[in-house]
Amino acid sequence: MSDQKIEGTANPAVPGRRTATAAPKHRVDPLAIIVRFQSLIGLVLVAIGGVIFSPRRHGEILFLNPDNIANIVRAVSETGIIAIGMTFVIITAGIDLSVGAVLGLSAVVTATMMISGGFGLIATILAVLVMGTVFGIVQGTISTRFRLEPFIVTLAGLQAARGLALVVSGNQYINISYGDGPGLAPPVFAVLGERLFDNTVPVATIVFIIFAAIATLVLNTTRFGRYVYAVGGNERAARISGVPVSMVKISVYAITGFASALAGIVHAGQFNFGSANDGMGYELTAIAAVVIGGTSLFGGAGSMVGTVAGTIMLGALANILQLNNITPAMQLLATAAIIVLAAVLQSLVRRREGLGR
Amino acid sequence: MRTTQRGLSSALKAVLLAGAGLCIASAAQAADPMVKACAKDGQFIIGFSQANNAEPYRQHVNDELTAAAKEVPGFTLQIADGAGNVNTQTSQVDNFITQKVDILLISPFEAAPLTPAVKRAMDAGIPVIELDRKTVGDPGKDYTAFIGGDNFKIAEEAGKFTASKLLPDGGEAAVLEGLPSSTPAVERLNGFKEGVKANPKIQIVAEQAADWVPDKAQTAFSAMLQAHPDIKVLYASNDMMAAGALLAAKGAGKDVKIIGTDGLPGPAGGIEAVAKGDWAATFTYPTGAKEAIEMSKKILLDCATSVEPTVTVDTTAITAENAKALAGK
Repeated sequence: MSDQKIEGTANPAVPGRRTATAAPKHRVDPLAIIVRFQSLIGLVLVAIGGVIFSPRRHGEILFLNPDNIANIVRAVSETGIIAIGMTFVIITAGIDLSVGAVLGLSAVVTATMMISGGFGLIATILAVLVMGTVFGIVQGTISTRFRLEPFIVTLAGLQAARGLALVVSGNQYINISYGDGPGLAPPVFAVLGERLFDNTVPVATIVFIIFAAIATLVLNTTRFGRYVYAVGGNERAARISGVPVSMVKISVYAITGFASALAGIVHAGQFNFGSANDGMGYELTAIAAVVIGGTSLFGGAGSMVGTVAGTIMLGALANILQLNNITPAMQLLATAAIIVLAAVLQSLVRRREGLGR
Repeated sequence: MRTTQRGLSSALKAVLLAGAGLCIASAAQAADPMVKACAKDGQFIIGFSQANNAEPYRQHVNDELTAAAKEVPGFTLQIADGAGNVNTQTSQVDNFITQKVDILLISPFEAAPLTPAVKRAMDAGIPVIELDRKTVGDPGKDYTAFIGGDNFKIAEEAGKFTASKLLPDGGEAAVLEGLPSSTPAVERLNGFKEGVKANPKIQIVAEQAADWVPDKAQTAFSAMLQAHPDIKVLYASNDMMAAGALLAAKGAGKDVKIIGTDGLPGPAGGIEAVAKGDWAATFTYPTGAKEAIEMSKKILLDCATSVEPTVTVDTTAITAENAKALAGK
């Protein structure tokens, strides 16, 4: 996290946290620091809790078992990839509800192209990534061109993607079988469900980490990243100071479309399968991870590292609850409490910074 | 990698034992119990990976499993809810493997996606009993056993019942499908269509998906009745949708013969609805819970060396003749 001045408005109250609104204060607000790192703090707390409450077998702490850690990070990879894209959108004060449905559509198209279309692996992956990106561009364009709420546009996008997925799959689920020849996928595709480095690190997680690293660089070091914060912080000011607002907005939806397609490909490779129902509800998990990560739904502030930590924290929480055989109901209630806590912390900071929201 | 190490160390042990003059006949291997830690009075954890607790039928499976496991001293049942998501369910199976449960029971939400997770459990030496839905592969080889009904056959029974008993002179029939592109929805739809073929005078005039839920079923069937007022029989792929369809038929003032699937017990279940005369029939989809716990007992308490790889639990047709007797149970 670099602490660069952007449009002369880096926030001195919060080291490293870039916001597009100048803070009137010059003393360090401890609460703001907590919010800045809330998901990392949360992740550490959940990890400590995980160790304390972990069942033990022959003295081994199951929560820290390497297989268990691999399982946690594998399970959050798909929603994590989506949450990374979602972070861009939410920083611009937008929202994208279509991500889970685009994941399903992408998984279906991936399976269909390779199994019944006879396309090669590279062609399929490129086509699906382009499709997801175009889906995002269309949503972003409609939203900016007609001045429509992204909530509404992407809600329609969700329905459209699910509908298209059903059409493409002919209401059937498509199994991916591997081999050499027509109607079979190249066996290398199944690598997405495996682990590398002596069977330790899930490949899905590696995709997630690489994508997160690129996204962090883009958000923190490029002009485009600064534009994203500027648009979310104050759209009018950004427009006046020459930021191509429409372009930036369309781009962030293109990014979520791309991320959803990537997650769909990972899904198809991990589970050898494509169904129109894949990724149902992922949009809400992703938004939860972003919010817990300290990104404000009002836009203008947020961090990619926070999102990644928030994603893993939710996964670790689900894991430790299940290891202890605690009901799914409690899992949902615990997640709810964490989301509310994250939102309350943020709102307190905003009030202190005099933003009044 | 770890498995090869284990293989190496056990190979070493075997060599050492042989060296110590303890000749182990390979024939004795075949008679080894499936779980080495089995014991009459042992404490065992059974992990059940359920596909989706939100479906009433699956809650019914959980209830029956819990009741059956309670009967066995020394059995602890842990249920994980996959929440209709293959990714969540996969990670829960992996958690059970981490915990080293003694037996894994699983109703996979979808077959292919859960296949690798089941393989991991088998590789870790945990017997896997699949309930109601299968993963890819063969029971007895890729997983220990399958216990459940046959969706296609159950729906086919409903189709034959329609062809011979409900519409012997032919007429219009309609189908409410579950969640499109989910395995049971596809199997039940195809099964019913196969069954009614027995009577060429029956036309299926409408098929709509209602995602297993009653409210969508009511809406879909109302629309069907608008478009096809002469529908005489409706096949609903589960009891919940049959309940919704009944409301639509009543609203339209039509007397439609409704067939459900699952045959859930209880005041809101399908058996009661047939007993009251609201539906023509429902075809039970047996849970196999009792059979699964029985099999677990064989493996863990009786040290079985092998079990039946496929246990098909037959459907019972619940009709006006037997519904009252069964509802009283």
